[in-house]
Amino acid sequence: MPSLSTRPRVKSNAVPEADKALLIVAQSAELAVHDLYLNAITKAGFAGDELATMQLFADHHLAYVQAIGGLLGSDAPFERDDAIYQQFVGATSSGATATRTLQALENTLAATHTDILSRIVGTNGAELVASIIVVEARHAAVFGSLPTMSLTSALDNPAVSLLPPATGTTTETTTETTVAP
Amino acid sequence: MSELNLSRRQLLRLSGASVAGSLFLAACGKQSNVEQSSNIASAGTVPPTTALPEAEVNDIVLLRTAASLEYNAIDTYELALEAGLLSGDYAKYADAVKRFRDDHREHADAVNKLVVALGGKAHTCANTRIKTTYLDPAVALITEGDNPDAARDTIALAHALENIAAQTYQGVVGSLSSPKLRADAMRIGQDEARHAVVLAQVLNPGHAAVPQTVDAATGRNNIASVPTAFGSLANVFLTIGAPNTDGVKTNLILSTPSLNSFVYEFVSC
Repeated sequence: MPSLSTRPRVKSNAVPEADKALLIVAQSAELAVHDLYLNAITKAGFAGDELATMQLFADHHLAYVQAIGGLLGSDAPFERDDAIYQQFVGATSSGATATRTLQALENTLAATHTDILSRIVGTNGAELVASIIVVEARHAAVFGSLPTMSLTSALDNPAVSLLPPATGTTTETTTETTVAP
Repeated sequence: MSELNLSRRQLLRLSGASVAGSLFLAACGKQSNVEQSSNIASAGTVPPTTALPEAEVNDIVLLRTAASLEYNAIDTYELALEAGLLSGDYAKYADAVKRFRDDHREHADAVNKLVVALGGKAHTCANTRIKTTYLDPAVALITEGDNPDAARDTIALAHALENIAAQTYQGVVGSLSSPKLRADAMRIGQDEARHAVVLAQVLNPGHAAVPQTVDAATGRNNIASVPTAFGSLANVFLTIGAPNTDGVKTNLILSTPSLNSFVYEFVSC
């Protein structure tokens, strides 16, 4: 076994000031998507196991809101991004468009959180966001796999980040999602 | 010559005294002008050990390790295709397997570009320890002659490997030094998670299989598409192979690469 001098990891409960605004964006987007799931659950006519899946995913998004809130402490606003909610509340009210819209929202959250991950410096926040990204990618893949398997829909993420481009970068981002209900 | 008659008890006492004497002499070697050795004091001699190179776990090592895991996946999918392991009802998933293999090739190239950009050497072969510890035994179980579920077990192995790959990328996020590298890692990690969902749906289809459930008969977790609310870094369980006389298959436990399976900078293909 080699003698290892592993880089010391900076672990602190404090969230760097520079990260707070980005984590607040993440929390408000999560709360909006959680509320959109609740809207779909009550209005889009889901039933049985499919309804249970929607409830499970809604619960996951609430868990992300709470986990980010725990990281931010008293700085956490727990406020929904109402622009996202209002943009998609109609599409999530109909059984014909709800699942496609929710999949696009999952893809958008995964892309947005990946963008956030590229900007935040604290390891606590980075590890939390990474653990959310993988599950939101799973959510999106479930929508691509059910009721019938579409590899393209399950595996590809055409969405872009909700964040504006970082200053001094050429990252392709937009302030709008790619959801097309 | 006088005869020496010893009872069994006397013999045991004598051998005990001999061992104690050896230990005493070994401990007192320095004072007794016994030749010095770097070995721990002992009866007899031990050949000197060769020190392994100094190694640091840095960004290059973490990314080379991720690249090696991509080659484990590529090789596993290649084997599934070339050895005809996807038979019967599972033959229709050959296109999906080809897509996964191609994705892993792209991932390996992307990760190795990061490695080279950091000043490291690209790693273009599978992780030896992961192969010998997990994959070779799994393939042996799958391909043994009397395994009636070889095709399904091949998908199960791929599912486990995709979960390990996703966990590997998620797990290195806290250790990579820059936000950009963390995001680059998770762009790939989320792809692996999507692969895992598709394979989970092959093994256990439908909405009822999305959350984690437990097999009432065995008490074990069923395959789930979304088993946890947050990305898990726990061991991955894989149940494969021909059932034994009690109808029970073999359980393997897979975990992400660690200190003894990292691809350090002195490791080459």
